[in-house]
Amino acid sequence: MAALSILTCSACGRLDAGPRDMCPACAGALTSMPVEGAGTLVSWTVIRRPPKSFREHGAYCIAIVDLDAGVRITGRLRNTPAHAALGERVSLVGCQDRIPVFALDR
Amino acid sequence: MRRVLVAGIGSTPFGRHGDATITSLALHAAGAAIAESGLDRARIGSLYLGNFIAGPLTGQEVLAGLVADGLGLAQIPCTKVEGACASGGIAFRHAYLAIATGLCDVAIAVGAEKMSHADTASVTAALNCAMDNAADGVSGLTFPGLFGLAARLYGERYGVGRAELSAVVRKNKGNGLRNPLAQMGATLRDEEIEASPQICDPLRLYDCCPVSDGAAAVVLAAADLHAELTAQPVEVAASVQTRGSPRIGGHRDLCSFDATVSAARQAFATAGIEPRMVDLVELHDCFSIAEIIDAEDLGLIPRGESAAWAREGRTGVGGDRPINPSGGLLAKGHPVGATGIGQIYETVLQLRGAHPNQVRDAAFGLTHNLGGTGVACTVNILKRLDA
Ligand SMILES: [Zn+2]
Repeated sequence: MAALSILTCSACGRLDAGPRDMCPACAGALTSMPVEGAGTLVSWTVIRRPPKSFREHGAYCIAIVDLDAGVRITGRLRNTPAHAALGERVSLVGCQDRIPVFALDR
Repeated sequence: MRRVLVAGIGSTPFGRHGDATITSLALHAAGAAIAESGLDRARIGSLYLGNFIAGPLTGQEVLAGLVADGLGLAQIPCTKVEGACASGGIAFRHAYLAIATGLCDVAIAVGAEKMSHADTASVTAALNCAMDNAADGVSGLTFPGLFGLAARLYGERYGVGRAELSAVVRKNKGNGLRNPLAQMGATLRDEEIEASPQICDPLRLYDCCPVSDGAAAVVLAAADLHAELTAQPVEVAASVQTRGSPRIGGHRDLCSFDATVSAARQAFATAGIEPRMVDLVELHDCFSIAEIIDAEDLGLIPRGESAAWAREGRTGVGGDRPINPSGGLLAKGHPVGATGIGQIYETVLQLRGAHPNQVRDAAFGLTHNLGGTGVACTVNILKRLDA
């Protein structure tokens, strides 16, 4: 499974999906940390009318994922599913233009 | 803090204004508000202007100074404020504060936006300025997308589907039909809503507010000036502004906005009233699902029940909790920077007993303006002077 880089605070240990300049809880320094790209699907939608800068992507599927590591991130689902239940297991399959891309485990 | 009155209101219709510049729209609304108040414009001590994206869409900035110059105001502080879709509400609150704190006796808040001349992709891109573009923006998420995510989660959690979303759309479009300022009033059947194109599943075109031009303005005055006012004033019982997370990941729940919850709590405490005492609400229904979520966040309807209330007609003009009798953003339109002040305009008309969709014997009205991904919020409670 592909890994994902998130941020952790060297002072209080708080995790953050980033990017951030300092820890919002204690203003401590943040360092990046690799985590497994496994998680559950919180919700998803299909963007059928993309903004200008994403026009060439056509319609695409946005997913909110709660990583098992303990942070919530915004990414994409690789294929637009006919149906995906919320709470379904997903895994990171790669990155496209810095965007984490997930696929349903089933 | 001193007591503050809304002394005069003005508004352009919301909709397409072709060749009119954003400045002329703002001047039209502000001029009407000043004239109605009966106060000499020389007494205006500060101006706040709410606007979101005049820079990218019209190439015109310094709107606060331009509008003050057009109105012939004195050399007063003129400030443009920006908080995405809450820009107008924030401008109103700052004008309120200028009087409440005693900095001046008369102030004006103006909101304006000009969007309809730009193509949809440019408007979507400009609206995306309200997202944290280092975080969620890189994914290609849009605002309709954010509310599509919320609609799917809300629907699954509470067993809510197309029928409830459509009930909100039908009500607001119907209310808009009787509001002369509304852009897109309509009598819609469920089949027509269901046949409109998918935008961000499960949201369809009719679930989304239109792209609009327009301006609205209010003149505020210290309560001591009551005897000099020529239009029936209403009192500002509370004006609250809060912030929430600019990132999706920072929200504990996609079906709730913390900024709304905390602003509403503070507003009810300040006004000294209970949510059930509110006679009408103008809230931020940028999408049908937003009305359902906002009503619960404001404490007006219990969690998970808002959709059923819409379906049962309880949020209609004659219902027990009238929401968006103006038609809301869905039907009246959403000229972003003007919306928060447009809500005040509608609520003042209700409290004067002069609204085209009058709620019977309205004494307390609440307005709710939400910006970005819930990053900025204002809640105001207005009351009739004899309430
Ligand atoms: Zn920390």
